Amino acid sequence: MKINLSNIKPVPRNNRYARRDTPTAALEGLYQRAIRDAFRKLDPRIAVGNPVMFLVWVGTIVTFLVTLDPNLFGTVQADPNQQRLLNGAITIILFLTVIFANFAEAVAEGRGKAQADSLRSSRSDTIAYKLLPDGAISQVNSTELRKGDRVIVKIGELIPADGEVVIGVASVDESAITGESAPVLKQPGTDIASSVTGGTKVVSDELTILITADPGQGFIDRMIALVEGAKRSKTPNEIALTVFLAVLTQVFLIVVATLSPLANYVNTPVTIAILVSLLVALIPTTIGGLLSAIGIAGMNRVAQFNVIATSGRAVEACGDVNTLILDKTGTITLGNRLADEFIPVNGHSVEEMAAVALAGSLFDETPEGKSIVQLAEKLGAKIDFSRTQATGVEFSARTRMSGTDLPNSIEIRKGAIDAIRGFVRSRGGTIPSKFDDAYEQVSKLGGTPLGVCKDGDLYGVIYLKDIVKPGLKERFDQLRRMGVKTIMLTGDNRITASVIAQEAGVDDFIAEATPEDKIDVIKREQSQGKLVAMTGDGTNDAPALAQANVGVAMNSGTQAAKEAANMVDLDSDPTKLIDLVAIGKQLLITRGALTTFSIANDIAKYFAIIPTIFAAAGIGTLNVMGLKSPQSAILAALIYNALIIPALIPLALNGVKFRPLTADQLLQRNILIYGLGGVIAPFIAIKIIDVLLPIA
Amino acid sequence: MISENLVTIWQVWCRRKYPTYLFLALCLNLVFASTVFAATGDAFSRSQVYALGVLGIGTVCLSIYLFVVMFQPERF
Amino acid sequence: MMQGWIQIGLTLIIILAITPIFGGYIARVYLGQRTFLDRVLNPVDRLIFSLSSVQPQAQMTGWQYARAILFSNLAMAILLFLMLMLQGFLPLNPTGLGAPSWDTALHTTISFMTNTNQQHYSGETTYSYFSQMLGLGFMFFTSAGTGIAVAIAFIRGLTGRPLGNFYVDLTQAITRILLPISIVGSIVLVAAGTPETLAGAIVVPTLENPNISQSIAIGPIAHFEIIKELGENGGGFFAINSAHPFENPNGLTNLIQILAMISMPTSLIYTYGVIADNRKQAWLVFGMVFIIYVAFIIVTAVGEYQGNPLVNSILGSSQPNLEGKEVRFGWAQSALYAVTTTGTMCGAVNAMLDSFMPAGGFILLSNLFLQIIWGGQGTGTAYLFSYLILAVFVTGLMVGRTPEFLGRKIEKNEVVLTSFLLLLVHPICVLFPGAITLAFPEQLGGISNPGFHGLAQVVYEYASAAANNGSGFEGLADSQPVPTALWWNLSTCFSLLGGRYVPIVALLLLAEGMSQKQPVPFTTGTLRTDTVLFTSVTAGVILIMGALTFFPVLALGPIAEGFQLLRGA
Repeated sequence: MKINLSNIKPVPRNNRYARRDTPTAALEGLYQRAIRDAFRKLDPRIAVGNPVMFLVWVGTIVTFLVTLDPNLFGTVQADPNQQRLLNGAITIILFLTVIFANFAEAVAEGRGKAQADSLRSSRSDTIAYKLLPDGAISQVNSTELRKGDRVIVKIGELIPADGEVVIGVASVDESAITGESAPVLKQPGTDIASSVTGGTKVVSDELTILITADPGQGFIDRMIALVEGAKRSKTPNEIALTVFLAVLTQVFLIVVATLSPLANYVNTPVTIAILVSLLVALIPTTIGGLLSAIGIAGMNRVAQFNVIATSGRAVEACGDVNTLILDKTGTITLGNRLADEFIPVNGHSVEEMAAVALAGSLFDETPEGKSIVQLAEKLGAKIDFSRTQATGVEFSARTRMSGTDLPNSIEIRKGAIDAIRGFVRSRGGTIPSKFDDAYEQVSKLGGTPLGVCKDGDLYGVIYLKDIVKPGLKERFDQLRRMGVKTIMLTGDNRITASVIAQEAGVDDFIAEATPEDKIDVIKREQSQGKLVAMTGDGTNDAPALAQANVGVAMNSGTQAAKEAANMVDLDSDPTKLIDLVAIGKQLLITRGALTTFSIANDIAKYFAIIPTIFAAAGIGTLNVMGLKSPQSAILAALIYNALIIPALIPLALNGVKFRPLTADQLLQRNILIYGLGGVIAPFIAIKIIDVLLPIA
Repeated sequence: MISENLVTIWQVWCRRKYPTYLFLALCLNLVFASTVFAATGDAFSRSQVYALGVLGIGTVCLSIYLFVVMFQPERF
Repeated sequence: MMQGWIQIGLTLIIILAITPIFGGYIARVYLGQRTFLDRVLNPVDRLIFSLSSVQPQAQMTGWQYARAILFSNLAMAILLFLMLMLQGFLPLNPTGLGAPSWDTALHTTISFMTNTNQQHYSGETTYSYFSQMLGLGFMFFTSAGTGIAVAIAFIRGLTGRPLGNFYVDLTQAITRILLPISIVGSIVLVAAGTPETLAGAIVVPTLENPNISQSIAIGPIAHFEIIKELGENGGGFFAINSAHPFENPNGLTNLIQILAMISMPTSLIYTYGVIADNRKQAWLVFGMVFIIYVAFIIVTAVGEYQGNPLVNSILGSSQPNLEGKEVRFGWAQSALYAVTTTGTMCGAVNAMLDSFMPAGGFILLSNLFLQIIWGGQGTGTAYLFSYLILAVFVTGLMVGRTPEFLGRKIEKNEVVLTSFLLLLVHPICVLFPGAITLAFPEQLGGISNPGFHGLAQVVYEYASAAANNGSGFEGLADSQPVPTALWWNLSTCFSLLGGRYVPIVALLLLAEGMSQKQPVPFTTGTLRTDTVLFTSVTAGVILIMGALTFFPVLALGPIAEGFQLLRGA
């Protein structure tokens, strides 16, 4: 999967997850359900969770009361019927403001629910066959399973909970969580292949599984809880913003509450309904109404990338990451080295050598072997014997060679330089000095040299090269511009590592790295105050994953790694870490942009309302927008205030467009759009609404 | 027997703290509104003064609520 | 007209020139570097520390620092209160003044303790020389020193240093900064014509009728004046403050007074630049405030120069508004002085602020609301940098990272403290008592002008108290023995205390929190706060957050008054 960093879409194309989980029926129901939820959220016990909107809700009740009796809080001079009409209109608009805000949250939650539902279907209670200590088997509900239980799962059955395979070999269909249709082989002992996930299906044979998660604690459960926003706790950033919004609301509450005596003193009394309107217009309803939707949508975006985050905090931390620690193999380079060049010795031509290499790799099914065949065929090499009469010699750790035994008992071998040297000597051949030159040259370039010989005749060196994934260099450049440093970790020697590092464009590399080095690097970076993100899959990655601020485990990885990480990538694509950084940043930018916009709006609302309601004080000249009347001005400001929430829902859910720019460029751009735009837009919008309003 | 009943009633009363607060607020309003009524003279009718009193107490409660949000935002 | 603008321009140039010199000196003092006064003052400091058993090396936490301020100020306040109440029995009382009423003494005590010097009394007829010189003069130094100490502790905290020791900072503020300048300054003022004597009032026959004698109040004024201005105190020796010919006899003393009151707040910004090792940021912030300051001066001065349209229509020509002004200062120096004194929270006046045109009234009130157009002694500078933190928080998210200031993350605690400090304290301290007073104008207010101007007077009084400025729009019946004086004395005490100590505690806790954060390294992904762009954003945040809160009050006060005047009503 390849996603252009500079152009993140809510649902990336070619995404298996998206293909699996956007049933149109679910989306149709989404809005109906969201509208229902919007009304359900009017329950004061729920509404109290959003301070800004709670105030609007209370204000709605107050204006409703003065609609019933305009003289409730003091005799009003104007015609009571006209008052009732105005107050009624204000009540309706305020009520809609609350509903719109609730709707925004409900839509965000609903999108998460839609994703969760398909997961939940796989999790529905299954019957598990529990292996009792005495060897008997008892039938239990999957929800009754506890950590440490053993269960037997036969062909065609769902695995009841997350666990480790202890006995048996079987293929498992994991498409329910990864979307990958090809079944995966699971067997005990090996790190990666032994962990199974609840809800996946055994499609061949039978497994005995040791349960490692209590019910409700498994991956799918966690994922459901998160995408639904059910167990959402506020992230540190959201908490800080909530405080700020509460302070602003408090300030304006004080301003409006103390305004009445001031206005009475200068003989320009204002009604309670107008004071409530002024309060609602001034408090930051836009960001207050969209704040939780932004957070939930951020989690959804991560889920759409097929990554499970265990907390919103982790997603936010992605935006703050200073250092990415990336494994070379599989992340920066394609997992395998590919043949790049044949360097012949002993007076052989390239063509001759290609023919021998082709013959020697005929039965080699490894990617390296296939790449040798490919290169040789490209050079026009052909085999001059019948394939069926030859036999392949498999690579073994002892011989460190593989090859082909030809029908006429000629042995072709390729493999590690030392092994080939030994083989040639044993067949009575000689080693020319050019051979050593060739392999040193390959080593210097960071490649892996393979020797090729036919019996005692040494043919040359195959240059196996690490291939950097296409497009990575550009993305590392973008990361650097955003202030994120990349460190490559590899088990290779320094020379090899530096060549790859340069080619991929990483900032730093650690060669000959052991798993312990990983955690040391993380600690070193963290001691400088940096936030570190890394990916890992093996059991020995677990401590480092736990230490990192953002640890992304591969779904193909071990249970231990997944437990230690705070995110799990279901596609097992380590490059996704870079996308996660972009998602985290986008989430923060969206929040900041809407906050700035919301606050900047206040200027226009002030200029719409204050001059018109205090027109009796002779400050009508300040009515720069030329609004028709106090009633029209208040209604226009409130209608703008209400409509801007649904108008910004798409922005809140999809996030602002993210560009990999430096901080200063981003600030400049966003201040222009959301700051200056936030000052100007409401002036225009309120004027237009004022003109359209059918009242004098 | 009677004391037990009283204890039960008291416990129920203690558990329902919101009605208690509401009751106390209305009692407070009795004092508050009378003062305002006395001070303003003819400007407001008696019912308007009580309504204003409830509104004032409501505003103070909202303000306290916002202070709680400011200092313990995790609860919301 | 040109003469007036040239006077203003020259004063501004001198301000620009002394800022880096003075600011650099303050930084040297508090960075513990060598200064030219060390040889004389080091032994003095040591003596003071050993006498008061202060351990100069002991660092304080934010809360300890705040407690030290609160308790030392409380002790000083009790001392001053007793001194004022017992002045009848104390020496240096040539005019034989008795004890003031308890509420006046309490208000005076709190007002001088908080560096406000709001006066609900006439100095010459209420307090003896002993009370003025020793009592109030003592507070002139300690309250100003407290402000400087807070600013320094705040800057230290922001830059990741330990906060320091309040007693050491206070002592050094007085011995290294306030006292030396005051000594030199008072000698210059005496040379320029300001009286300095312990003799009682001069009794002279009047010119019209030699049989009738008048007594002219005089006293030890010169030394009182310089610290009044330098420490942003502003409490006048005489009721009419620096408009009095003995307090401020001529243009030279006027210039010295303006420079004295603006030098500390401007220099402290530069001091920040030195201590944080980021002079660029200091100059940018300085420039931002300077631009607003100059704009405010221009608006006020133009308003005064054009004069009152109603008067002009009678005269048939445009004349400057000189009502309530001293002719020896004219419209230009009066306007400059007024904008400076309300901006720096000094509160001394050389013209009656009440008589300024609505444009001027608008600016003076805005100064009190914003509190950072230089701002109070020390606290103004701290507010200014808190505004930077607030601006970082509001807009910093837009670069896609948790907002950082000077490499330190702005998180929940910082947001609670900064927004509380900058946005909430002031409206509570100004609007609440203001609304109560205006709800019962007869019973509580005693307002001389009805309508828009009366509203401005009331709000100004509380804004001046809460901002620790001390100047007044006057026209309020707030001096004993009128019946409304009790309400004024007590209600302004609420604003005085709230406007002083709540922000100080918040600032120190903020500084403490910032100093303990692990700094995050600077990358291209970090928001730079020392750019023109970010400084402009901060200016926007200050204007939206700081000013919009008070927009309704300004609209119903000076703005409405201005339009009223234009309509010729």
